[in-house]
Amino acid sequence: MTTRGTGSVGSEPYDAIVIGAGVNGLVTASYLARSGRRTIVLERTDEPGGCAATEELWPGFRVDVGAHEMAALDRRAVADLHLDRAGLEIVRPDPAVVSLQPGGGALALYRDAARTADAIRPFSRRDAARWPAFADAMGRAARALGILYETTPPRAAGASRKDLWELVRLGAKLGRVGRADAVELMRLLPMTIGELLDEWFESDAVTGVLAARGCHGICQGPMAAGTALVFLHGMVGGSRLPLSTRWVRGGMAGLGAVLATAARDFGAKILTDATVGRITVRDHAVRGVVLESGEEIAGDLVASSADPRRTFLGLVDPGHLDPDFVRQVRNIRYRGACAKVHLALDGLPDFGSENGNAASFCVAPSLRYVERAYDDAKYGAPSREPHLRAVIPTVLDPTLAPQGRHVMSVLVQYAPYDLRDGEWDDGARDVVGDTALRTLAGCAPGLADRVVHSHVLSPADLEARFGLTEGSINHGEVMLDQVFIGRPVPGWARYETPIRGLYSCGAGSHPGGGLTGSPGVNAARRILAS
Amino acid sequence: MANRSAYDVIVVGGGHNGLIAAAYLGRAGLRTLVLERRHLVGGAAVTEEIYPGFKYSVASYVVSLLRPEIIRDLDLSRHGLEILPLESTITPLRNGDYLGRWADHDKTRRELYRHSPRDAEAYDDFGTLMYQLAWAVKPILGMVPPDPLSLSPRDLKTMLRLGKHVRDLGEKQFHALYKLMTMSSADFLDEWFEFEPLKATMSASGIIGTFLGPRSPGTAYVLLHHYMGEIDGVFRAWGMAKGGTGAVSESIASAAREHGAEIRLESTVDRVIVKGRKAVGVGLENGDEIYARTIVSGVDPKRTFLELLDSGDLPGDFLDAIRRFRIRGSSGKVNLSLSELPEFTCLPGRGPHHRGAISISPDIEYLERAYDDAKYGEFSRHPYMDIIIPSMIDPGMAPPGRHVMSIFVQYAPFDLNGGWDDAKREAFGDAVVDTLSIYAPNLKESILHRQVMTPMDMQEVLGLTEGNIFHGELSLHQLFFYRPAPEWSNYRTPVRGFYQCGSGTHPGGGVCGASGRLAALEILKDLRR
Repeated sequence: MTTRGTGSVGSEPYDAIVIGAGVNGLVTASYLARSGRRTIVLERTDEPGGCAATEELWPGFRVDVGAHEMAALDRRAVADLHLDRAGLEIVRPDPAVVSLQPGGGALALYRDAARTADAIRPFSRRDAARWPAFADAMGRAARALGILYETTPPRAAGASRKDLWELVRLGAKLGRVGRADAVELMRLLPMTIGELLDEWFESDAVTGVLAARGCHGICQGPMAAGTALVFLHGMVGGSRLPLSTRWVRGGMAGLGAVLATAARDFGAKILTDATVGRITVRDHAVRGVVLESGEEIAGDLVASSADPRRTFLGLVDPGHLDPDFVRQVRNIRYRGACAKVHLALDGLPDFGSENGNAASFCVAPSLRYVERAYDDAKYGAPSREPHLRAVIPTVLDPTLAPQGRHVMSVLVQYAPYDLRDGEWDDGARDVVGDTALRTLAGCAPGLADRVVHSHVLSPADLEARFGLTEGSINHGEVMLDQVFIGRPVPGWARYETPIRGLYSCGAGSHPGGGLTGSPGVNAARRILAS
Repeated sequence: MANRSAYDVIVVGGGHNGLIAAAYLGRAGLRTLVLERRHLVGGAAVTEEIYPGFKYSVASYVVSLLRPEIIRDLDLSRHGLEILPLESTITPLRNGDYLGRWADHDKTRRELYRHSPRDAEAYDDFGTLMYQLAWAVKPILGMVPPDPLSLSPRDLKTMLRLGKHVRDLGEKQFHALYKLMTMSSADFLDEWFEFEPLKATMSASGIIGTFLGPRSPGTAYVLLHHYMGEIDGVFRAWGMAKGGTGAVSESIASAAREHGAEIRLESTVDRVIVKGRKAVGVGLENGDEIYARTIVSGVDPKRTFLELLDSGDLPGDFLDAIRRFRIRGSSGKVNLSLSELPEFTCLPGRGPHHRGAISISPDIEYLERAYDDAKYGEFSRHPYMDIIIPSMIDPGMAPPGRHVMSIFVQYAPFDLNGGWDDAKREAFGDAVVDTLSIYAPNLKESILHRQVMTPMDMQEVLGLTEGNIFHGELSLHQLFFYRPAPEWSNYRTPVRGFYQCGSGTHPGGGVCGASGRLAALEILKDLRR
């Protein structure tokens, strides 16, 4: 049982304190506990899981109010923490996504490349013929990228002999996937997803749905450099399918529950409703944390999975930090670009006869459509015709809603955190909700009549509820300058921080967000190695 | 076949890179022939008297990047090269005010202080950082890119040298360089400055020649180019050649001739003759064939490999790489003959600002909106413009009392919706003149002649594929050992005896000449073997 509230911290000191019981916090805590350290996890809310959160929004309707999809869990965490035996049931919809076309029609992309090629053929014979090779090329690139993701970013400038050795080892690892793949990956990463797709495809339907993936969670359009990286980011560790998606049976909160169980099984203690007010620092070293309740917990090892701005500008007294470091943290771009719309439906909308059993959808009929959606956000307004990424988990998992009813969870992009006109109040929320519904209804006639309840989370709501600065679902944009040696800030990408004993282990560190647990694993390994 | 043994090297294209390569090769004692399609040398670096008495730098209009070692090696000053400095950059604002940056450092500081004391403080630090980064990048620009796939001693040695260079940079500079390479110019400048016109005008230099907006990552890197010229101490960052940009080409041509190179004008090369996987000569449009053991192409990669060569002579992978090499043109040029100087509302009367650059870049959003038009296949209704008045710097460019104005315009997509035609060209010219008239109301009535160069014109007249002024976009994945294709960035090609020396190779565009020089040095290495 999770310990709730204060007063149960216990008198014995802890070897390690982990701030935040999100996926990464729990993974780090599990590793630390596994190594025999007395570990405590401090969680602000009343449940572990962070963005993997399921809530009964309306009686009988259980909705994933945070992330409604996830990338593949880090394979090291799965093996080391025995997550494969923890009873986590992953749902992998097939078709992986159905790209709805305005005015009816849809392009279904399946887990099987040959079947996908068949589905593409009516849109373009050439694209259909190219799909299997594309899937293979992207799979190889993602595999090479995966190697970087499982590595602590090496030090290049001012490298010591040990750093050089790390670089050589990384080079050797990359060499094993094939140097040609590695060189190709380096070419792909800085590209725009538009340019990348232009090398392969011609039809709007195919490029639209792929381009949208390149913009997931960032406030940039598919014509911005680095969106190819975002596209590959979503593929790392997963299947070879460029558009794979997955979620947890019974709701995403199940992920948090399983990880929390694993952490406790290794001996970690999880304290919920325990908001950390500040991190205490003395002589450039961490000494523990103070909860908002005033309670102090001593410990000379603290790993924070809160995002970098919260950790360094919120929890640490800036007096303990070098002004240059503080400036760098201030300059991290968050720029939340998504809102969430949740719907309760009294029946399935009509997505066309062939897609009756589909559970994962998107609205991104062309690359231009997505770029135009971004144009609005660029000037501080929600998209008038947004890109939508939607799931109806109840198609495959009826337990989430009353019999015959459904829940639908929609990620709406773009909804910029910083609105030029006004604030994220009820009016702005309604606009986003209505726009999303109208856009969906344009593809699935009759949807509007099926809606019995609706609920909108703006980027500001995501910030308040999940502690995501500016509503950034990745704890900072996954952009070229903010990945690898630049994440969270250049010079501090190796999970250490300027304060001795304080580590960052959240998605704000390499390799970023997606509920993979990878930053948590990398950080834990780094902590245990030092 | 009388020509068979007359030449050692044939250079295709008499642009500045081709001429530089020819000059270096000639200097090494090789009998070198340059074949130029047009009636004058220079390629995109030409001065033409389109209307009697008015001389236009038709395309390229400022000089800042020409490598000082080239100026020294070829003794270009003796061959007539004279760079005249530009005094200032003025950004007129829509509220009637302006932002000025002057050659006089204190004056710039006072001016910045007037708009934002914070920016005035940051400006010097920023300059220092860029100066340091320019130093850091300089050796990389002067390096023949290694092939990262190769394990040959030469490539490994270069990789090692590169690695050592990065290691020695020091963390702070390395990280700044990393950010500069990966960020958008707007985001990069946001970290330093607050005054929009300053950020916009500086970031504009990051978008020149790209098909990206200032908020798109990858544009910060080009900011560095502004500082590259400064570090060499030969001349100031921005300057104009006396006699227009064509004078740069003329001086190089003169040096090449002195070194024994022959330059043949109005000689269009049709194809490169390949025998047994080796280049042995070129075929001209008029049917002539000229032979030499080494052929060098200064034209862009698309023309070089897809037009001059037969696809059967090249490996499939390489052809694919060249086909996907991105070369979208995004800019146009408008040259005007004027009966009087334009009077800017923000700075009435005649002043030193007429001897500098005028930048139409009031804020980042202005540039982004200009980009938005181009994204969807239209020219910018209100474009970004970089303007100089060459006749104020070199009075010889126009008849007494009259003036010429050079306007670089972005964005103008090569793939215009519906395609470019005469009407679209004029509409584009009108958009430029109308927008500029907002800031200089007397401009319209003072126009005597107008030359409008669309990207299509740049392709047709100057031979730039898709009108791209850099022979290929300067985006990250098309730089260094990816330029123009992996494994073939060292100026060699899959065809033996055939080399590339144009801006489509490392380090790329701008009238810098490094490609021509590095290519010539590589050729000489091979020939000595």
